[in-house]
Amino acid sequence: MALLEISDLAVRFNTDDGVVHAVEGISYELEKGKVLGIVGESGSGKSVSSLTLLCLTQSARTEIEGEALFDGEDLLSLSKERQRKVRGNDIAMIFQDPLSSLHPFFKIGNQLVEAVRTHNAVSKAAARDRAIEMLGLVGIPDPRGRMDSYPHEFSGGMRQRVMIAMALINEPKLLIADEPTTALDVTVQAQILELLGRLRDETGTAIVIITHDLGVVAQMADEIAVMYAGRIVERADANTIFNAPEHPYTWGLLKSIPRLNSPRGEELIPISGRPPSLINRPTGCHFHPRCPYVREAHKHTDPQLIPTGSDQHHLVRCLLPAETRRALWGQLAAGATPDAAKTAVPIPEEATSQ
Amino acid sequence: MLSYVIRRLVWVVVLLFLVSAVTFVIFYALPSADPAKLRAGKQPTAALIKSIRHQLGLDKSLPEQYRVYMAKALPFDLNGKGFPLRFKTPDLGYSYQNSQPVLRELRQRLPATISLTLGAVVVWLLIGIPIGIISAVRRRSILDRATMTGALVAISAPVYWLGLVGLYFFSSDIGKIHIFDGAGSYTPISDNVSHWFGSLLLPWIVLAASFAAFYARLLRSNMIEVMTEDYIRTARAKGLPERRVIMRHALRSAITPIVTVLGLDIGILLGGALLTERVFTIPGIGLYAYQGISNADLSVVQGTVLLATFFIVVANLIVDLVYAVLDPRVRYS
Amino acid sequence: MRMSRLIAMTLGVAAMAITLAACGSSNNNSSSSGGGSSSSSSSGGADIAPTTGKKGGTINVQSSETFEHLDPGQSYFQVDYVVVYAVDRPLYSFKPDDPSVAQPDLASGPAQVSADGKTVTVKIRDNVKYSPPVNRTVKAADVKYAIERGFSAHVPSGYASAYFGQIEGVPSAPTNSVPNISGIETPDDTTIVFHLKSNFGATLAKALSLPLTVPVPEEYAKSMDAHNPSTYDSDPTKQAFTGPYVISKFSPSGGVTLTRNPNWDASTDYRPAYADKIVWKTGGDSGVVGRQTLAGTNTLMADGPPADLIKQAYQNNKDQIEFTPLGSRYVALNTAKGPLTDLNLRKAIIAVTNKVAMNLVRGGSLIGVPGTHFLTPGQPGFDEAGGDKGFGLDYMNTPTGNTVLAKSYLKKSGYKGETLTIVGAKEDPAPKSTALLVSSLNSIGIKTKLIQVPQSTMYSKFCGVPKNSPDICATVGWLPDFPDGYANLYVPFDGKAITAANNANWPQLNDPKVNAAIDKATGEADQSKRNQDWADADKLISEDAPAVPWQWSKDAELEGTKIHGVIDLWNSDWNLSFSFLK
Repeated sequence: MALLEISDLAVRFNTDDGVVHAVEGISYELEKGKVLGIVGESGSGKSVSSLTLLCLTQSARTEIEGEALFDGEDLLSLSKERQRKVRGNDIAMIFQDPLSSLHPFFKIGNQLVEAVRTHNAVSKAAARDRAIEMLGLVGIPDPRGRMDSYPHEFSGGMRQRVMIAMALINEPKLLIADEPTTALDVTVQAQILELLGRLRDETGTAIVIITHDLGVVAQMADEIAVMYAGRIVERADANTIFNAPEHPYTWGLLKSIPRLNSPRGEELIPISGRPPSLINRPTGCHFHPRCPYVREAHKHTDPQLIPTGSDQHHLVRCLLPAETRRALWGQLAAGATPDAAKTAVPIPEEATSQ
Repeated sequence: MLSYVIRRLVWVVVLLFLVSAVTFVIFYALPSADPAKLRAGKQPTAALIKSIRHQLGLDKSLPEQYRVYMAKALPFDLNGKGFPLRFKTPDLGYSYQNSQPVLRELRQRLPATISLTLGAVVVWLLIGIPIGIISAVRRRSILDRATMTGALVAISAPVYWLGLVGLYFFSSDIGKIHIFDGAGSYTPISDNVSHWFGSLLLPWIVLAASFAAFYARLLRSNMIEVMTEDYIRTARAKGLPERRVIMRHALRSAITPIVTVLGLDIGILLGGALLTERVFTIPGIGLYAYQGISNADLSVVQGTVLLATFFIVVANLIVDLVYAVLDPRVRYS
Repeated sequence: MRMSRLIAMTLGVAAMAITLAACGSSNNNSSSSGGGSSSSSSSGGADIAPTTGKKGGTINVQSSETFEHLDPGQSYFQVDYVVVYAVDRPLYSFKPDDPSVAQPDLASGPAQVSADGKTVTVKIRDNVKYSPPVNRTVKAADVKYAIERGFSAHVPSGYASAYFGQIEGVPSAPTNSVPNISGIETPDDTTIVFHLKSNFGATLAKALSLPLTVPVPEEYAKSMDAHNPSTYDSDPTKQAFTGPYVISKFSPSGGVTLTRNPNWDASTDYRPAYADKIVWKTGGDSGVVGRQTLAGTNTLMADGPPADLIKQAYQNNKDQIEFTPLGSRYVALNTAKGPLTDLNLRKAIIAVTNKVAMNLVRGGSLIGVPGTHFLTPGQPGFDEAGGDKGFGLDYMNTPTGNTVLAKSYLKKSGYKGETLTIVGAKEDPAPKSTALLVSSLNSIGIKTKLIQVPQSTMYSKFCGVPKNSPDICATVGWLPDFPDGYANLYVPFDGKAITAANNANWPQLNDPKVNAAIDKATGEADQSKRNQDWADADKLISEDAPAVPWQWSKDAELEGTKIHGVIDLWNSDWNLSFSFLK
């Protein structure tokens, strides 16, 4: 059994402007010790789905459906007390901006010790030792001395290390990292990712990395799920996503990453348009307003997330036939623009039956 | 940090000089009353008024009068013989109206004002903070709506009116229900502690009412804002009990602006809670200031203004220093 | 100066009227009672006539005003007087119910005024002792010193030069040390002789009831008087007392405690002094203090309660409220310059003003009634001046305003439509009565322009300075310093009293006939002739129509449920030596 099994998770917020469909029926699995990357733009529902696992999106105006089994237990139907015991203990989460995510008025030693003693009945001294140990583990120099520093006294990268230390201090089985490197500069990004990788190797913690940047998950992820407008639109192991993606959105993400080896003068191709409103979503395929390869039928029919071809592991939510998709990708991978690819490959009008 | 404190203290002294000078000028620019005329009595001849002016030193030029006043008021002798400074008791002059020395009056009245202020502070914090927290946590509940509406009423009610209503309902001599001691029952703490306490209960409640309401509202909105911060989300993600998240993480951040406002409010109130003192007949600085103003009594006005300025400026300084302690991101150089 | 204290009191209290009651001035009310005799006032039930009472107990007095000066040489305030006259003995004083007769107090008999009015001789008792620690018998030289110190800068007296300035040798300006006034002679220990520069003796005799004549032992007070200001004032527990009580405790913010004077000999005094102790608390809201007084048993309120409480007490606690006449309020008309130099125009204004309405809007007949001349009820000479009806002048006898009569005077006048400037106080309730004045004038076509300023500014900047005076001073009033025609009419209406600053002859009346009549009355020593002389002066003044006497004021005093409070009619306030617990 997988460590984490999400089935048809849906999250809706009742706001004064209408119902926000933040997450709409997503499912995935994560094995122990593996890394899943969830990729998407802001508003794709990637953060909300993870926060929901920790029951941090619950409120009077939230509707949550579906199942999230963690080690066999459904996280969504836990009592408040049980929820609390899971958080920071079995499942830990780190967030995007470590400066705002750490309490500015408490020393980090304090915050680390607090994390330990919430879940373990140990003495302050023992907790302090554990905290110092973790700081050392994440690569903070002079960990004992730094226990009395405040968050703002660290650099960005160091702060994120502290957050990671705090998250892993109780040896959780699952770590959710929500945009862990977005607020850091590129060189530091690499260090943090490398750290996460190392920790995964050393501790066997499963990791979910949430990001909008495919490059971040390129090295670490075993599997990648691409989310758009609250749904997963493509899911496959990492290699496949990078080498043989089959969703126009994924193509767009890949094409818009600047590459060191792309020819000089080659333009980046952004995905046109903006993320859709989650209150009034586009009809039919939610991506259709921005898809360069859109057909009339796509505006009315909602695609399902189904395996593409023989690879049961590779799921795609698109109405285009698989061959068409592969052909298009062939073009794009060779350097064509979407318009060029469109003309080169004939795209059938009718949606294939799903 | 030390150099910062020293700079601020120097500024306190400068401000005191500035304020005293401005008070001097305002006093003479106002057309209200001429102390010489007030003292001259019935049918004064011009010569009489002139000689009284001379005796009161009012015929000297404004800067000269100011110099004379300051020379007497400073706690050391300005005889220009260089170091060391000889310390002396400052002489803040006498009230024209009843011949009482101003410094002595200020000293005698200060304990009453301090008692009133500090007691009210305790009451309004005890009421306002819990209400602020609860209202923030249970936003939009009936409790929240009820307390916030009540707070609005308490803030809007003029303190003088509230005092009178309090007396007319609850004082032991003229009230409908005999709970609290009546007006005029103030006794200094050095005389009788339990009488002192009893005489101040109703004044504390009345003075605290609008502050408690204001602090509750302020804390509520601060808390609501703080609760949306990322570190609160982290605290919850760490698995902390909600109670700890609120009382330790959220409150700790939300309380800092409150501390700032508290310091300033204390500074201002120490200058005299005039209306409360008047309605309950508490012989404090506020009442004294009012009498000085209505009698065009320069020495009294000057004395009370200087005292009030001193408290406010020092309170400002203390608040800034405390803020640096509370928020480690703030560092003064 | 007493007026200005009253005004300051009014200002002070009125400025506090942020919310409740028209915290109007605490006194200034009148009731009509015949002058002189002990008739009780028109309303209330407490019997002010002194009767024999029970000895003992403690009286609790409260006032929302604080004391100003308890040094008898400086004391010049109604509330201060209540204490000073209980602890000190001036040469003369007044029995509570009879302000027309100067009762010898420290003096052993009436003052002897020489025929030419330039010498006044007073003999004092030889058996009055000072309180401890002075202990010795009072000497005439002590009175001389007492009066002299009032002319020194360390003991600024508000009225010394006004009433004692006619004594020969009096310095023209306050001196640094206590001067020696050659015109005060003390040939022996029980005789004082005043030598005056003019025929002022009869009036000086009246002024000898002022506390400046309270004896002060020089050898004891000298060191205190050397301070500026004298500590005889700032530390009143150190004074040398001659009255039935002494000030045993004093706090400038809290009040005083009076206890019996061990050296006071009841057989030398007309005062009974029933209570053993008097505890007086000062400060506070006058409405609250008033209610506390009504709710208490042995309580007295020494200054006036607010108007709404007066009404309430009159309805619900009739036997705890007492009304006595005191002073007047009027509208001064500038007789010296501008359109109002026209007598008929002034008469028109007096005729048209609705005086009853002006009283109503401030509290009604409980606090005052319209006047018809300038000697007020209870003052000597009031009856001779026609009492309530006055001299029957048609323009004066118009309590609700008589438009027809006013218009007839207006026609006779030379009014060409000029705009009259009115300056009035802005503190509540003054603007209410001023508004009625304005509408009365406007109703017959007299144009007005109203400027409202703080009360003290009205005096110090406008009405008290003749060259800045407007046509009409809307909210002036008068309180006599002692019950005598001189104190009622000289300063407000005599041409010689006009000064360039602090002027209190607001109409700036300077009619030689009036001045002469006042001179005559000032010098008259025989009481009944004096009363008639002052009534004659009042008539001439009234015929000059210099002001609209819209209110003869009344003072309201509150007492507790089990106390028999006795009121000094001359001060319109409680007498602590006559009041007793029931």
